[in-house]
Amino acid sequence: MNGYEIALALCGIIALYAAVRVVLEKDTMRKLPFLNVVSFAISGSIVLLIPHPLAIVAAAAYFVGSTLESNAIASTYAGGPKDE
Amino acid sequence: MPAEPLHILIAAMVSWANFVTIDVFFKLPEKGGVSGASEIGRHIEEGGGALHGGYMMGNIVSSPDASAGTLLASCGVYAAGIPGGLFAALLVYIGNRICYDPGYAGTTGCITATFIVYGFTLIGFSAAEFIVGMVIAILTIQGISHVHSSRLLATLWRWRQG
Repeated sequence: MNGYEIALALCGIIALYAAVRVVLEKDTMRKLPFLNVVSFAISGSIVLLIPHPLAIVAAAAYFVGSTLESNAIASTYAGGPKDE
Repeated sequence: MPAEPLHILIAAMVSWANFVTIDVFFKLPEKGGVSGASEIGRHIEEGGGALHGGYMMGNIVSSPDASAGTLLASCGVYAAGIPGGLFAALLVYIGNRICYDPGYAGTTGCITATFIVYGFTLIGFSAAEFIVGMVIAILTIQGISHVHSSRLLATLWRWRQG
């Protein structure tokens, strides 16, 4: 295995591990940091798998989208904005 | 130890230092930036962790911070060199605004990481090693033990406050 293959394999293993932790964690709020790790690993894998400069746009779009979803889930769970 | 795993380990430590330093400098552990981030902090505290470390972890979940900046900068440098990293900083800036985050931790982290990663590519590292290094770095904070990582971040926050 060269460095690229090790990097991709590690991203995949970490994504799977974090996905299992999301399922096993009982507390909804504490699931979200594990979900965050999944987003990191998948974004990294997107760029490693697609050898093109615009892959960065795909990775950023995926990452920002998943972050926004986590933000929305957590804020809804917390009862919506309180400081506006 | 073969070169690649050693490089990945060093890249993970450099990425970790970059994003934790910038996040703590930009006061992410002080309070939750949005109500969801505060709620995550409180739940981590209920689980036995530290409140301010929990706030920082909630902020990392809720908006692209310096950790996301470091990841996307590595991706940008991997795909297109320094212009790719700076383009990633623009995307992080847009992402911050979309996520209702008034801060600049993500953009700053992305710009510093671009130059750090590019510097390391000049001495034989690959940007791919920094991509997986950042994934490992975020795993240590968000994905192993919330109790211990939040306590560590709270300790760093106390140092930051002097």
